[in-house]
Amino acid sequence: MNDRSGINAENLRAGYGTEDIVKAVSCTFPEGTFTGIIGPNGSGKTTLLRAFSRVIPSSGILELNGKAVTEYSLPELGMALGFVPQDEGRPFSYTVMQVVLMARYARTSRFAALGPEDFARCHNALDDTGIAHLADRSIRTLSGGEWQRVLIARALAQDTKVLLLDEPTSHLDLSHQSEILSLMSSLAGSGSTIIGVFHDLNLAALYCDRLIMVRQGHLVADGTPAHVLTPERIREVYGADVVSSVHPVTGKTFLMPVSNPGGTNVPDPSRIILVISGGGSGSDLLHLLSRRGYPVAAGILATTDTDYLTARALQIPCEEVPPFSRIPEQSLAAFREALDRVERIILSMHPVGPGNLPVLTMLREADPSRIIIHLPDGREVSSYDFTRGAASAVIQDLHDAGAHCTGTFNGILELLSTPPGAPGSTRSMQQ
Amino acid sequence: MTRTIPLIIGLAIAAFLTIILCTFTGPAGFGFVSTAPGAADIVGGIRLPRVLSAFFIGGSLAVAGAAMQSLFRNPMADPYILGTSSGGALGASLAIVFLGGFFVPIFAWIGAVVAIMIVWAIASRKGVISIETLLLTGIAVSFFFSALVSFLIAVAGQNVHSIIFWLMGGFWNASPYDAILSAAILVPAGALLFFMGRDLNALSLGEETAAHLGIDAARARWIVLGGSTLLVAGAVSIAGSIGFIGLVTPHIVRMLLGPDNRVVIPAAILTGGILLVLSDTLARTFFSDLPVGIITAFIGAPFFIWLIYQRGETR
Repeated sequence: MNDRSGINAENLRAGYGTEDIVKAVSCTFPEGTFTGIIGPNGSGKTTLLRAFSRVIPSSGILELNGKAVTEYSLPELGMALGFVPQDEGRPFSYTVMQVVLMARYARTSRFAALGPEDFARCHNALDDTGIAHLADRSIRTLSGGEWQRVLIARALAQDTKVLLLDEPTSHLDLSHQSEILSLMSSLAGSGSTIIGVFHDLNLAALYCDRLIMVRQGHLVADGTPAHVLTPERIREVYGADVVSSVHPVTGKTFLMPVSNPGGTNVPDPSRIILVISGGGSGSDLLHLLSRRGYPVAAGILATTDTDYLTARALQIPCEEVPPFSRIPEQSLAAFREALDRVERIILSMHPVGPGNLPVLTMLREADPSRIIIHLPDGREVSSYDFTRGAASAVIQDLHDAGAHCTGTFNGILELLSTPPGAPGSTRSMQQ
Repeated sequence: MTRTIPLIIGLAIAAFLTIILCTFTGPAGFGFVSTAPGAADIVGGIRLPRVLSAFFIGGSLAVAGAAMQSLFRNPMADPYILGTSSGGALGASLAIVFLGGFFVPIFAWIGAVVAIMIVWAIASRKGVISIETLLLTGIAVSFFFSALVSFLIAVAGQNVHSIIFWLMGGFWNASPYDAILSAAILVPAGALLFFMGRDLNALSLGEETAAHLGIDAARARWIVLGGSTLLVAGAVSIAGSIGFIGLVTPHIVRMLLGPDNRVVIPAAILTGGILLVLSDTLARTFFSDLPVGIITAFIGAPFFIWLIYQRGETR
């Protein structure tokens, strides 16, 4: 390899006793990168990290900063590689500073005292991790999160180009998580090689440039978070259902778990309540109805729509279409069929433009007595209309034909408890 | 850190004063300046070797205890944890029963070393020694050797008294050779452990932690175990198995000075020495030369309980 820093592993095997936990892993961690290792419990993530730090024996090629790890003496290794464990026993009352100063042992002779630069480096590390005020506290009096930051500070004070972290934020609250991980990002930005094991996939996606997914000791995916964290792969590796999206603020991939009660119940189609919504207008309603036990289906939704994510998260069947494009004919046809099958149709008012107008128009063909229009109190139909009156005209027609109309969720629940076709609407239309 | 150096110097002065004071204390009287006949013989020939032996052995047990507690990451570990005392007891009992009481120190030393070797051999069966295995093996081997000692006591007949007195530990026959021998072990082994202070600090947080901090944990473990074994086997062969000094002293020192082993090791040597000299002086002056192990346990056990109660945590 060249003389750049980082870790290079080829065909690495490691484990405890005779059984290999890490099986023939090959990958390179160049300098200036922040890589997250992810995978289900028992997949070998931590073992891989421990093999990198040489505390467990391994076979295959393992190079650190261009030199075989076996050629390092232990003090040299202590100057080249820092390690943050998940947790560490605290049998004795060292002060925080005493523990962090242990980082400097590898750099000083056992017959000499630590120098001022060692103390300065350790004070810096305490500042960076936000625990300078704890320097003289006994480690036995610290909270789990404070102790975790001490362990991180100690690894920082080792002044190594490579830093390995085993779930470094497992005990940290939200603000400290982002503080520590931003710190790691900036270290990677200034040329360090950071490798962390993560359980929280979203956190890993947010801060890591690259993710490596491990299953049963094998590397199953390697790439950018967006590339690695696909719902299909999560289902395959973790056995969990998630929906993947792009975080609206950070622009990074993020996943939402989907509660899986163990097999989807197929409800009687004639009892289904179809909710037509968009842009998040139906999310609360979908939650409410599914909590009340109604068999619910959702109307034509683009896969980027908030309501789509809600429907997926609630395991609500949904006619889905690609975003930013015309609704395909076969989707409209399938939807038309659904309109005839379901017991009730709830139109949750949402912005209607030329793109989704065909969905609305199609409601003219449905039995109006089964339609409930949900127009939130205080809003007017025209405020949803971006079709120069076409959408408003459809709504007016539906109302005139006998569709029910309500402004509250209670109104909807009331209507659902009476058989379809009962006379009267609870509210007159405002144009 | 600021009060560490003055406290160590204070301990050294206290140790010196204790040795002087206790040398001039005893049931036969003799103050600091005495011209009575036999005064020189008793003070110089009997008391001084005894006081010095007690000091060096107290220091040996305390420093071995401190090292073992860090190595085993367990503040409840004591220097006999690997079967040294029961091994020594078996060797001494064999010498008492079958050799008429000759060669007791040599047999006690052999017994102690054999016990540790057996523990090591069993614990390292698979090539790797884990601290937990070592601890459990030590306990098992201790019980086994104690059973053998009990058997010897049961069949010892008139020698029962000697065995029991040996088991409780004491300095009745301390000779100048004992004082020199115990010093000859304590000085190099104590220095060795002192210079392993950093390694012990890191090891007390975990073997992997030590390795990640650039410390050769396996080598450090062998050096610490070897040095401690030397200290404890020497102490057992000279004075029997005296309890509580090795367990309590490191706690007192950590309470005063914190857990940094580069401070704890020298402070434990001085404190352990002082405590055992005082205990032995008490035993020979006021309790018609009871085994000193009774005194250390009698005072040490309640003190230890008070210590734990005071702190609300073990340090």
